[in-house]
Amino acid sequence: MSTTVLTSPTETSPVARPPAGDVRLTFVRVVNSEWIKFRTLRSTIWTLAATVMVMVGIVTLFSAILASQGNGRGAPISIDVFSIAASMASLAVVVLGVLVITGEYSTGMIRSTLAAVPRRLPALWAKAVVLAVSIFVVSTFAMGISLVVMALFLGGKGLAPDLGDGQTLRILVGVPLYLTAIALLAFAIGALLRHSAGALATVLGLLLVIQNLFMIPWTPLQHISPFLPGTAGARVLMTQASLDAMGQGSVGAILSPWQGYGVLLAWVAVLLSTAAVLLRRRNA
Amino acid sequence: MIEAHGLTMRYGKKTAVDDVTFTVHPGKVTGFLGPNGAGKSTTMRLIVGLDHPTRGTVTINGRGYDQHRAPLQEVGALLDAKAVHTGRSAYNHLLAIGATHGIGKTRVQEVIEMTGLGPVAKKRVGGFSLGMGQRLGIASALLGDPHTLILDEPVNGLDPEGVVWVRNLVRFYAGEGRTVFLSSHLMSEMALTADHIIVVGRGRVLADAPVADIVARAAGTTVRVCSPQASRLVELLAGKGISITSTTPQWLEVTGSTAKAIGEVAAAAQLVLHELTPVTGSLEDAYMALTQDSVEYHSTTTGMHPDHLGADLALSSTEGAAR
Repeated sequence: MSTTVLTSPTETSPVARPPAGDVRLTFVRVVNSEWIKFRTLRSTIWTLAATVMVMVGIVTLFSAILASQGNGRGAPISIDVFSIAASMASLAVVVLGVLVITGEYSTGMIRSTLAAVPRRLPALWAKAVVLAVSIFVVSTFAMGISLVVMALFLGGKGLAPDLGDGQTLRILVGVPLYLTAIALLAFAIGALLRHSAGALATVLGLLLVIQNLFMIPWTPLQHISPFLPGTAGARVLMTQASLDAMGQGSVGAILSPWQGYGVLLAWVAVLLSTAAVLLRRRNA
Repeated sequence: MIEAHGLTMRYGKKTAVDDVTFTVHPGKVTGFLGPNGAGKSTTMRLIVGLDHPTRGTVTINGRGYDQHRAPLQEVGALLDAKAVHTGRSAYNHLLAIGATHGIGKTRVQEVIEMTGLGPVAKKRVGGFSLGMGQRLGIASALLGDPHTLILDEPVNGLDPEGVVWVRNLVRFYAGEGRTVFLSSHLMSEMALTADHIIVVGRGRVLADAPVADIVARAAGTTVRVCSPQASRLVELLAGKGISITSTTPQWLEVTGSTAKAIGEVAAAAQLVLHELTPVTGSLEDAYMALTQDSVEYHSTTTGMHPDHLGADLALSSTEGAAR
């Protein structure tokens, strides 16, 4: 390192060769910057790989078991397997969503980011766009592979799901949408708390722990329960049969799958707007 | 040109920057000098909008930093060499920062070469030494080829070659008519680099003047006296707006008087003088004198009398010989 030679400023004049082109801050460029940041971190690659592997792995496992031993009824594989796969994959997605923003706070990178984008909000929105598009594309890709795997194992036996079915389509579209919304939820909470461990604990608590707490058979809780982000959002992943079974004896509101997803989006919108307001106000 | 007006920043009860007003002019290197905790870094963070001032305003070429179309072309700032994601390579870091302004690979490669980061550019920043981190911070500041350069403690952790390089770089930038604002707690570094100095202590501006003026302020105000009857001389000189300190028996440093006056006093009392020397102030002395009251974190084992340097140049009369 000591052999490194610093170029004299007069040799490489900073003025003689100014940056080419129209140097100026635009939203599209901020998105590009966030995309570079996103793809140049190992944590991104690992969490996205985990998302794909978990989804494809679970679907493969279920398909293989069904192909070897059958389900006794000769009925096709339940599309509910995607619900299980998506909720497992959501853990990896949550980690990525949180780290995308808290990683900048824990390392101090956020100060470089905000110095380059002093109005701040474009950086937040650009991060959200990059995260959402990436998660959507990657989970759609994982869904595609899962369907191919299913067809390989079960196609010949007539056990593959009917893709023309409205409910099946809803779930196939629902999985990427669900994972995208969960990633944004995690991102918003990360932006609010600015601390990796704290944000992770909060998101997982909100998605997993609180849900169990609301099992307590106390009526007020039962009325709120359907509107928790995880509970509401997951409805878009479930078959009508599962939804009906869940609805048995429930006292709270019964949301349709898309209403449930809408509730999750509303959580995302509120948390993200709060994060935006705080980002503008707080000292970096 | 950076213009701060009534800039005030409070964190809870602590006032980091207290009603600070100054102008940093283009075409010269302006040093921002003060002890640790004086508010230098906070002021610089306020300039680029990382912190919001409690009161007051600061503008760069007439506009708030966030009002510029190309902030990185307006101001290149090194505020904190650790403002980098440790998991990313230096090259990718610079590429991402530049991308916000449409600054591409060519310029990224240029600043990497200028700062000597070439051999480590593709390595992850987490493993960088302090000096390498500092060079990356400077590379990042230079990315937009900015009109104004703001560097917070730029020579921290740099090897001697790097220190000289930074000095040449800022001189070169200023020579091109750009604004250069440079903080340090090291007077000696400033003396070599800056044309103009703003001294801060406890969040306030203590001095804002050309380097030469600040030196002149300290020059000739101290006289070194050696006398076997030093304590007698202290008694005679005391109480006339004169500050006297003593580091060793028989030796006095008298501030607020002249060699001529002291010599006459000694002659009148028939005291023997072995030495009577006016001490030419250095920039260091001037700085110490200015910031003496404003040092936030005093070391307790200085080995010297804390008021050896005379806090306020003419007010206190200290019987140093008695110590």
